[in-house]
Amino acid sequence: MTQRKLDFSFREKLNKIVGGNHHNYCYQCGSCVAVCPAARFSDDFNPREILLKTLLGEEEDLIRSDSIIWKCTNCYSCYERCPQDVRPVEVIIALKNLCAEQGVLPGDINKFSETLIKTGRSVIITSTVNRRRQELGLPDLKDVNVKELQTIIE
Amino acid sequence: MAKQISVAPFWGCMIPVKYPQMELSVRKTMEQIDVELVDLDQFTCCPDPIYFKARDKIQWLTIAARNLAVAEEAGQDIVTMCSGCTSTLLEAKFMLAEDSKLKNQVNEKLKKINKEYKGTVKVKHIVVMLRDDVGVQRIKESINRPLIGVKVGIHYGCHLLKPSQIMHIDDADYPSLLENLIQALGATPLTHREKLLCCGKGCMDDEMPLEMTYEVFDSMESVGVDCMGLICPTCFNSFDMGQILIARKMNREFNLPVIYFCQLLGLAQGFAPEEVGLHLHRIKVDRIMEMIGASEKPLEMVA
Repeated sequence: MTQRKLDFSFREKLNKIVGGNHHNYCYQCGSCVAVCPAARFSDDFNPREILLKTLLGEEEDLIRSDSIIWKCTNCYSCYERCPQDVRPVEVIIALKNLCAEQGVLPGDINKFSETLIKTGRSVIITSTVNRRRQELGLPDLKDVNVKELQTIIE
Repeated sequence: MAKQISVAPFWGCMIPVKYPQMELSVRKTMEQIDVELVDLDQFTCCPDPIYFKARDKIQWLTIAARNLAVAEEAGQDIVTMCSGCTSTLLEAKFMLAEDSKLKNQVNEKLKKINKEYKGTVKVKHIVVMLRDDVGVQRIKESINRPLIGVKVGIHYGCHLLKPSQIMHIDDADYPSLLENLIQALGATPLTHREKLLCCGKGCMDDEMPLEMTYEVFDSMESVGVDCMGLICPTCFNSFDMGQILIARKMNREFNLPVIYFCQLLGLAQGFAPEEVGLHLHRIKVDRIMEMIGASEKPLEMVA
């Protein structure tokens, strides 16, 4: 077995992200694994192992655009079950935020976020949208207040 | 006379843009039970609790707080139609109540647009409003074509119930909310082994999401459901389009209509499938209409 290197500075970085600090409460019981659909449907996704890697500071493995963390279904079953209030899904999202800080987000997330920041909506309104809405007797969609959205996230 | 309910609908992005039939069904059915929908035109994306939140939790929280503040300013509580919007708005409320430093930090940003999040607004998914504020009795009174004999496979999805510490809606392991509402329509809710499985949409993998969707269908088919009933446009996307993908990639046809709760309510209130937009779904509901004795096509399409 290869020896694992400890790097506690990674934990300090994670503590600064909202909800990231809850990883410190993990005692590796594995309750999260038992209820995790991603663990059930994949050979390599395991929330307890993600928490262990986090505790040990294995940043290179976790903070990448092809990291295993992106297979999380975001179903919140682990948050529901965890006896330690680790909120594993929120720790995983905090890890994703670190990916964003380091510029290693998967392309889909970048594209999606750009649409949202540019239009205020996460789905692009194509020319057919209002036509379909008219067919259904629904009012046309108006532009949303994207200026305010952009101002508050500057 | 029943108390008039007035709420601000938070349509989100998926429903008005991709699945306006769901919006149509909400507008039509709420009219039947005297729920007034006061549209506010200042809402943006909630923002979504998976992709955008993955990018920056503070930005995610700030945009959510702005949406909440818009409703507070208008003096309206929010009713959501999508589990994702419900999750974002309720989690934002929870986080801002739990951490006053965070709330100050967010309000500093909102100050730039002369807004403040106070924490007074209530947020409910439409099915929760139906249970708690409208009530099963009032729903039953609005029904003139009960869905007798229709066996509905319920799919709760993840974000309505979990985490229960935040959502405060129902028991996350043994929920009864949708069972009771489906029963109020005269239909029969069927439980099945994967009733609480995730639809898979939030998982960024090439195979796993469809495998999860497949398991849910297999589970529902094994107990003999006539259709699937759900409450979230993201789950709908997984299951409606998902059936086409499953037929193509996994060579199995389930052919199960996937129906948003307010569309089921609309059918029970006597609307034709086209009047609640069911003609836009990939799997049609002809068989359901035969079961409830309404198989003839309506004379005219709704404008």
